Amino acid sequence: MPAITKLLDRFTETDIDEEIIIMRLDTGDLLSLAGTGATVWRLIDGERDRRALFAALADDFPGDDQRIALDVGAFLAELKESGLIDEA
Amino acid sequence: MTKALGEATMQVETRVRHGETPRTLLGEPLVEMSWHMRGEEFLLRGEGEHYFYYRKGSGITIDRGASFDASEESLWLNGSVYAAIASMNGLLPIHASAVAFQNRVFAFTGAGGAGKSTLVAALGDRGLPMFCDDTLILDLSDPEQILCLPGHKRLKLRPDALELTGALRQEKVSLTVDKYYAQPAAGNVGVALPMARLIFLEDGGGPAIAPIQGAERLTRLQDDHQTTQLFAAARGFSRGEQFGHLVRLARQIVMARFQRSRATAQFDEGADLAAGYIMSGGKP
Repeated sequence: MPAITKLLDRFTETDIDEEIIIMRLDTGDLLSLAGTGATVWRLIDGERDRRALFAALADDFPGDDQRIALDVGAFLAELKESGLIDEA
Repeated sequence: MTKALGEATMQVETRVRHGETPRTLLGEPLVEMSWHMRGEEFLLRGEGEHYFYYRKGSGITIDRGASFDASEESLWLNGSVYAAIASMNGLLPIHASAVAFQNRVFAFTGAGGAGKSTLVAALGDRGLPMFCDDTLILDLSDPEQILCLPGHKRLKLRPDALELTGALRQEKVSLTVDKYYAQPAAGNVGVALPMARLIFLEDGGGPAIAPIQGAERLTRLQDDHQTTQLFAAARGFSRGEQFGHLVRLARQIVMARFQRSRATAQFDEGADLAAGYIMSGGKP
């Protein structure tokens, strides 16, 4: 499985309190991430693939692995569509 | 007492003379009630042939054309022109009215008609001196703290707000604006002070004051479209720089929301709550 990488030239980001705010440099649109979304974003390190990401999340959120895979899969698709990540 | 550098800058840069001004800075004609900014120049056209031209280091030139309304002139000067000059000199204007308590500023922000001036008048009646009305200028030159520059505008209230707050009515603001100048009951503060809170006025429910946290602290800063646009235009920010600027503000300005009913019968309850919040140093 390919590693998930952040497309660092497409956005800028910061933390405020426990939340992450990302700004797309092409549109100026802001995306704020809290809770699980912020955790997933922090786990994207350019080395983990989907399987490793789900495994890391399963450690943090034990329980329904299938549910995690579905929710995170949808979230990753959203990030990919926004041009913030790639899997290659 | 010495003035903050930003105050001294504004005093020098807002000196006014009368004379001819350019009619455009960008080639195309400037329509009424709009502005152009180019490098160190700013040109605003009010109603008719009423032009305000600013050039950094040279102050303001006003061209009154054939007919003009003197009372409107001070509104333009103290509003958009002042905000543009502040922006072009590295000072951030925000749409807010404020009071001071124990040498710190508590500012209330919201769209036009949100009740900023009325609340400041009511807080004056509760012993809190006015710091500014409608436009608050922030000096960002010290990376460690944000300094508020004292107000250049007089308090302006609608007739119903005068009645509600008991503020002393003075002359009418202009022929076309149904507002009157008013004397703040606890006077004005005339020195630069650090910011304590930026409080967003919200209608309905409450009254209640609660902190704003997380990403909302940054996104709420974009509510103030007019001044955000002026500042970004003046600084020539890239998107990344604009983001960095907002992040700094979001980290350094403590924010809260003040929800209250706009019904007259509940006004005093809300004003009492706001006064108590301020006098407790910003504890909800």
